[in-house]
Order: sequence, then C-alpha cells, then structure tokens
Amino acid sequence: MKFRTQRFLLTASALFTAALVPQAQAQLAPPIQPTNPAVSKLSAIYQSVVRIEVATQVPDYKAPWNSGRYSGGTGTGFLIGKNRFLTNAHVVSDSKQVVITMHGSARKHLARVIHIAHDCDLAILEVDDFSSFEKLPYLQVGKVPKLETQVRVIGYPVGGDRISVTRGVVSRIDFRPYSHSRADQHLVVQIDAAINPGNSGGPVLQDGKVVGVAFQGLTSADNTGYMIPTPVISRFLKDIEDGKYDHYVSLGISEFPIFNPAMRKVYNLSEDDPGVLIARVMKDTPCDGILKVGDVLTALDGQPVDSSGSIEIDGERVDMNEIVERKFAGDKVKLDFTRDGKAMSSEVTLKPFPAAQIFSVQYDKRPRYTIQGGLVFQPLSLNLYSALGISNPRVRRLFSKYTSENIYKTRKDIVILTKVFNDPVNRELAGYTGNAVQSVNGTKVTSIEQLHSLLNPEETPEFFVIRCDGLNRPLILPGKNINQINQRIRQNYGIKEASYLGK
Amino acid sequence: MKFYLTILAAFSALTVWVSAEVSVLRVSSTLQSYNISQPWEKQAPYNRRGLGVVIGKNQILTTAEMVANATFIELQTADGEKSIPATVIAVDYEANLALLAAKDPEDIKFIESMKPVELATPSKLGETVQVFQIEDNGMPLLTNGIIRGTDVVSTFVDGHFFLNYEIKAAMQSAPNSFTIPVLKDNKLAGLLTSYSSKDQLLDATATEIISAFIKDAADGKYVGFPDLGVSIVRTSDENFRGWLKLTDAQGGVFINRVQRNSSAEKAGIKVGDVILKVADSAINRRGYYTSKNYGELYWSHLIRGTHVTGDEIQITLLRDGIELVKQVKLERPIEGIIPSHTYGKAPRYMIKGGFVFQELTESYLKLFGDDWKSRAPMTLLDALNHPEDYEKGKKRLVILSRTIPTKATIGYERIRATIVTKVNGQEIPDIPALIKAFKTPGENGIHTIELDNDIEKIYLDAETASKVEAEFLQQGLPALSRDKE
Repeated sequence: MKFRTQRFLLTASALFTAALVPQAQAQLAPPIQPTNPAVSKLSAIYQSVVRIEVATQVPDYKAPWNSGRYSGGTGTGFLIGKNRFLTNAHVVSDSKQVVITMHGSARKHLARVIHIAHDCDLAILEVDDFSSFEKLPYLQVGKVPKLETQVRVIGYPVGGDRISVTRGVVSRIDFRPYSHSRADQHLVVQIDAAINPGNSGGPVLQDGKVVGVAFQGLTSADNTGYMIPTPVISRFLKDIEDGKYDHYVSLGISEFPIFNPAMRKVYNLSEDDPGVLIARVMKDTPCDGILKVGDVLTALDGQPVDSSGSIEIDGERVDMNEIVERKFAGDKVKLDFTRDGKAMSSEVTLKPFPAAQIFSVQYDKRPRYTIQGGLVFQPLSLNLYSALGISNPRVRRLFSKYTSENIYKTRKDIVILTKVFNDPVNRELAGYTGNAVQSVNGTKVTSIEQLHSLLNPEETPEFFVIRCDGLNRPLILPGKNINQINQRIRQNYGIKEASYLGK
Repeated sequence: MKFYLTILAAFSALTVWVSAEVSVLRVSSTLQSYNISQPWEKQAPYNRRGLGVVIGKNQILTTAEMVANATFIELQTADGEKSIPATVIAVDYEANLALLAAKDPEDIKFIESMKPVELATPSKLGETVQVFQIEDNGMPLLTNGIIRGTDVVSTFVDGHFFLNYEIKAAMQSAPNSFTIPVLKDNKLAGLLTSYSSKDQLLDATATEIISAFIKDAADGKYVGFPDLGVSIVRTSDENFRGWLKLTDAQGGVFINRVQRNSSAEKAGIKVGDVILKVADSAINRRGYYTSKNYGELYWSHLIRGTHVTGDEIQITLLRDGIELVKQVKLERPIEGIIPSHTYGKAPRYMIKGGFVFQELTESYLKLFGDDWKSRAPMTLLDALNHPEDYEKGKKRLVILSRTIPTKATIGYERIRATIVTKVNGQEIPDIPALIKAFKTPGENGIHTIELDNDIEKIYLDAETASKVEAEFLQQGLPALSRDKE
C-alpha cells in the first residue's frame, strides 16, 4: 500500500485490513436477495465469478536482506476459458499462495498465477484441479460500453462474504493512470458504482458480457469506480496467446500541445492544422533517429493527431498513444509529421522501453543489494524511492531525468547508499545515506553488479574510495581486514546474505 | 546590592528616563517585506519592538532584525513620551547588527545629550552580566545572568556564524522584545539574539563582534565581516584521516567546497585541501581551536571574528600529504548566483505577456511550504545546493517563476519554476539582461524563450504580450519590471 498514490484506492490491497472491521456492520443490513427477474436470469453466470484469497510476502526495500512482510488479502476473479480465471495483477502480486472459492461453496481450490501483467493490472490464474468448475459458463468479453449506459459490477467486496452486485452508469471514458504500476496510463472507464476493496478483479457486465474489470477507486470522490475496459483486456489476452506476456510498447517520445498562437505561427500551422509538438525523443526507442525535437506529429496510422495530442477512436477523443497501446512488440506504426514546414512520413517498428521500468512499481521481485563495510547499496527503483522517501535533489534529478536525459545509457542502475549498519569501520558515514554512488576507486559505477565487484576485488586495495554525486568528501572504507569486519557486521545485525544481485 | 541602588537613583532623578549609566531607547519599526510570489507588491506591514543602546554621538545600536525590510523606524524614550524618527546608518544582516541615527536636528541634540554606553571588555566564562529590559511603565528590569559558554552560531541569516555568549539567566519573557542589551558594570557586553525560556538560556552577540561592527561603521562606509568562502567537513573519521594522510598529531578540517571568487579561491585553496592552521591557531579534527578567553571555539571565528576585511593571514594546509602555507587576503565574499539573504533588497522581476520572471532566492523556494527542501522543484533545489554547476556566465539564476494565464500565454499555463537559459538568442545572466533581451523580438514579431524544461523552446507574440501588459497595468499592477534591487 505504501507505493500507491493517495488518490487511488486499490481495492484488493485495502481489503485485508478493512475486512477485519465490518463484522458488526454485516448484521445490520439483511443480505439482498435478487428478486428482480432480470437479475435472477443473469445469476447463472455469477457462478463463474470467484473469490480469490491471497497470502503475500511483500519485499521490504528498507531491509532488502530480510525476506519480506507476510500479508494477504482477497479479491475477485472470473472464468473466461477452460481453467483460465481473469483477475487484477494487484490481487495476486507478490503472492505466495492463491486460493479460489466458488460462489456458494466453502471449498478452497489452490491456484497459480499463469500470466501477470503489472503494466495493465491483469493476471490469469489456473486451479490445480479444474473438475469442480467444469460446468460453469465462461464469461465473454464484449465492447467498450457507451456513456450513460448501465453496467453491473460483480464481486466480493468488503462488508460480507457473499457475492455482491452493484449497478452503475458509465460516466467517463478516459486515458488515466493505472495505480498498480504507477507509471502506466491506459484507457479506463469510470462508473458511478462504488468499487470497494475486494471488488478488484471482478467483472463489470453489460448485456451479459464483460465490458470491464473493476480495479480501482478514487478516495477523493464518492461513488466513482474505475474499470479496465475491453481494449486493454483483449490486448492482454492476445499478448499471452504465445504463452508469455510482453510489455507494452511505446514510441519513446514526449509531446507538448501546440495551443499558443505564437507557437503555431513559428511551426507554420494554421488554426485548423492538426499536429502536436515533439518535445523529446528518447534514445534507443522506435522514434530515435526518425523524429526530432521540434517536429510536429500530425497523424498516427493515418489518424489525425490534434494539437493536444489526441485522436478519435470509436467516436471518443483519446490520447494518441491509444493507437500504440493496442499494438504489440514488432508491430509497425505509421508516423506523419512536418519538419521545418515540410511534410514527412515514416514507419517505425514498436518495441518496449525497458529503461522506463524504473518509474514502475516492481512486484514479484526480490530487491537487489550489496553490503560492504556495513554500507548497504541498492539500485534506485520506484519501490526504493517510495520506501526511503528520497529527498536528495541530486538523486531526485537522476531519477526523474533517467530516461529523458539518457542517464540509463551510462548508468544502468543508479546505486544509492541506503543504510549504514553502525560499526567502528563506518563511524561518521551514517549521515551520508541517500546519496547516489558515482565511483569506487576512480571507476564509474554503472550497475549494482558492477559496484559489487568493485567493492569485492580480487586484490583488496588499501582503501575503498567511494564518491557520491554532488559530494566532495569521499567515503572511505579500509581494505585491511574488511572480510573479518563484514563477518562481524553480518553476525551483529543478523544478515544472512551480504548481497543479492538478481537471478 | 550596589547595582540596584545605582539604577534606582538614576531612575528617580529624571522624568524622561535616561540613566546616567545606561542610555537605552525603545525601537519600534514597521517592517514590510516583498511578496515573493508576486514580487511587484509588498506584504502587509507589521510591527516589531525592541531596544537600542546609545553607543556614540547620535549612534544607536540595535539588531539587524529590527531594521530588515523596515519602512519606518522610530526611537522612543523608555517612558514612551518622546518619539524620534530614525534612519539606518549601517546594517550587517549576517552579524545581525544595525546602527541607527536620528534625522531631525532637535532629535539629534536630544540623543547627543544622552551619555553613550561604553563597550565592555570582552567577557570571560563565569562572569556575571545583567540583562536589561524595560517594563511597560518605563521601569528598567534587570536580571542577573552568568556567562556559561560561548558558541559560534548563526542568529539571523542561515550559514553566517558569529561568536555569541551563552548566558544562563531567569529572564522574564516579554513579547516583541528584540535586541535586549546585556550589560557588565553598566557597559555594553552584548545584544540578546535569542532566549529559551524553557532552558533559561540566552544567546547574545559577543562584545568583540559588536566592537568590530562599530569600528567598521565609524567612517560612514560599512564594509562588513570578512569571509574565507569555503565549506568544510570534519576529519574525525579515522579511515578518512588515513586516506588524507593525516598524522595523529594533526587536526584539520577537509574543504568540501570553495566559493567562486572567494578569498580562498584567490589564494589557491582547493577542494580536498585540509586546513591545519589558521594563523598560529591549530584547528582540531572537529573544527575547533583553543581561544585564550573562551576555550574551544569553532574555527570560523578566527576568520570572521578576529580579523577585518583586508587583513592578510596565513593558512596552513595539507594537500596530498604535504603541508603548505597559503597567504590569504581576507575579503568580503562575492555574492553567489543565489544570494544567502535578500533583506533590504527589492526582488527584481519582469512580467512578459503573463510570464513572471524572477531571480532565484531561498525565499522563493520557501514558498513551497515547510518541507520545501523536499517539495520545491528539484532543479532549483539542486542549484541551491550546487551553485557551481549552474553559475557559468550568470550573476543570478533567472527563472520563469509562474505563468499567469493570458491571451499571450495560452497553452503554457503549466510552465513554472524553471530556469531560463536564453531569450531571443541572448544569454540571461540576470533580470536586467532579460529586460534587454525582450526589447528585440525576432523578425516575425515573436519572442523565443529557451528553458531548462521538458519543453525547451516556447514562443510569445510580442504584440499580444504588449497588449496583455497594458491590461496588467490597468488592473493595478504598479510596474511590469524592476531592474534595481
């Protein structure tokens, strides 16, 4: 929960604590029986909506040498194919055990995560033994619901154990952040039915078909819920057809809207001309070498891009990235742009941009670290950033300019001195935590693995001279007896492993 | 006992309270600072009351806090019956001292009739002093205190450290009482700068600092205290010492940063040098030296408190394990691109079509709230921490501080708090240069503004901007720019 934005209430994560409270409340209101015939008719497919209980072990970025915090929660999922349950990624992230229960049954079925896509907050589960589910219908994925139409949210939210149904109206279709990864923006549909903790991963139905997966709420507003709409679901399902999930692809550019008349004049745009300004092009991305800063992007795949960077899809105005969103690695996209008033055109092959992962919350991964002389070093990630509340402006700068200033090209990891285990060897160094390590004995630090080898050379130097960004006083560790010192520190502080550098 | 008699006698002898021994006046000032978020206007004025000590012919000593951003200063007799408008003749914000004078010939005569308070000899630890307050009815209120220690601290402007006495006294805490004199045998020993009623401890600017200030101001041209222009870290870390090749007999402080154009830079002192000695005083590994009067004192007092601007001193350094001596001429520091304070200065600014341009100051960053050190824009914070990375070709750091939505700034509403690199192709070292650069838009009648931002170049229509600016003036903005501080 620590990593999530204030605005969004991620439903599964909040449940675990919330579910402990409302025992008394549940007795106040009698369970609602579906008396409406339309509801009764639909209820056949409620059978395919299951409750998911998860035991998690969440890595502690503040203490990466520890195994993590045991926790858990519940969410919802639904059957979409033979032994294929769809749910939210955040329901089953960092899970150690997943258990599925059917509506009206007490039996717990052990399940596994088959595919998980943190960037679009979706996951596929399967149970060890599907026989009990054989007769259940599969939910079909429908279309994007129209504004003002009614939808039904099914799930197991807080406030009781049985299935819950709420109705709402589609109130907005927008391109919004997905709070699970914190870095991704995709299409979302906002409905006025409250989506509560436990609803996560549940289907949103219209005319008996799935039009979305309930996934997040808004804590600053009442009666707003968000669901993942079908284009995102379909993309996910198509992506995993080959047996593995690839990341979303991106153009690797940033745009600036051209509203200002003076700016339009400079770029030779009349009032009605389409196009958005290219403000940055990242290295090693599809558009690197194709687009330049100052180009005006006028169309994507022939769809005109307006001056705010939007396009029209199915009668709705959405961010132009929606075109790229629906494509996969290796797909092509056609760019129309003007450069110095001259119309140009190009086709680029899309690929993911791994460096941008630094801005995404990481799950199901053990934090990497290395410890030398009681100094703990960790690579910068959004998880670490949030866990430590990094305030050093130099480090903040390195982080936020990591992709836009191509820092990742020379520093695969921004390595941070995160903690100092007090020991005579590092007396006076505790005040330097939170700094980024620039070099060790004159060699620039490029990654945590490389730093680890710099700090554990075959021949131990007299001193390890560790220099940090923006700090003129180097941090000095003696080479002499460093192995004994390390052993002493590990023993004193109960550290099992001196480093974890990834698989 | 003897002491009380003196004061009481003095009091009953005069109707307008002027002690034969202690000539103290009330100081009442109206302070008004600029509104940093709208630099063309000032904030609501407020009042600050304190005391001043007559220390010479028409010279009244008080703290800089009493006069910083003052629009009106008035002296009053202890009983409040006579009021005298005053002006500032010298002020040192760093040392927190100011010298006032009356303007009107009649008033000057009145003040000159008061016997100036002499400066005490520098105090010693354990000496008894008296804290002098005035009650509402004009009665003096004296509290005995003991000098328990000395410390080199900053009392008004962050980062400027001066010798202060630490006095233990059960002083009565009175509201709005700035600048309370501390006396020794009816002579001025210090000026109170802070008081903790919980610990009953007060800090007072030491006699030698006051004395140096008065001496400097005597010729009417105040210069200020010298500065070496370095920042240091201690060398108590054994491994660090080993790497620096410091012997156990040596102390030393490691130079972390050398300010541009500073006394240190001119003398060839470099980052990475270790200061072992200043003149004849050895600096220990925590940055202290042994002073005759006060015992252990922080080394910066050797520069700022025992020398005046223009003095030459010898500094012994350790560089790469070798001792070397540098002759240093102590000067006033040249202001960096982000000034350490802006008291007594009007912020320079320019409004262009709705863009507000300012020079970056710490007061601007403080607009981002109590936790500004983590919330303010990181590039600006980084510039504050590492001016050396930003100062090339610049006198100040000009920023586009905010964008007022207008016809001219459509589409730019979100741009704010970003460093301006060029305007119409010209470098921007300060606001006057910016004002000049905006005089020549491109041939197409469009201004080009280059920023250190996600969007590197933005454009502004010169004609639309002028129209908007005329509207601003109509709406009551006093001026579109200020080029003098």
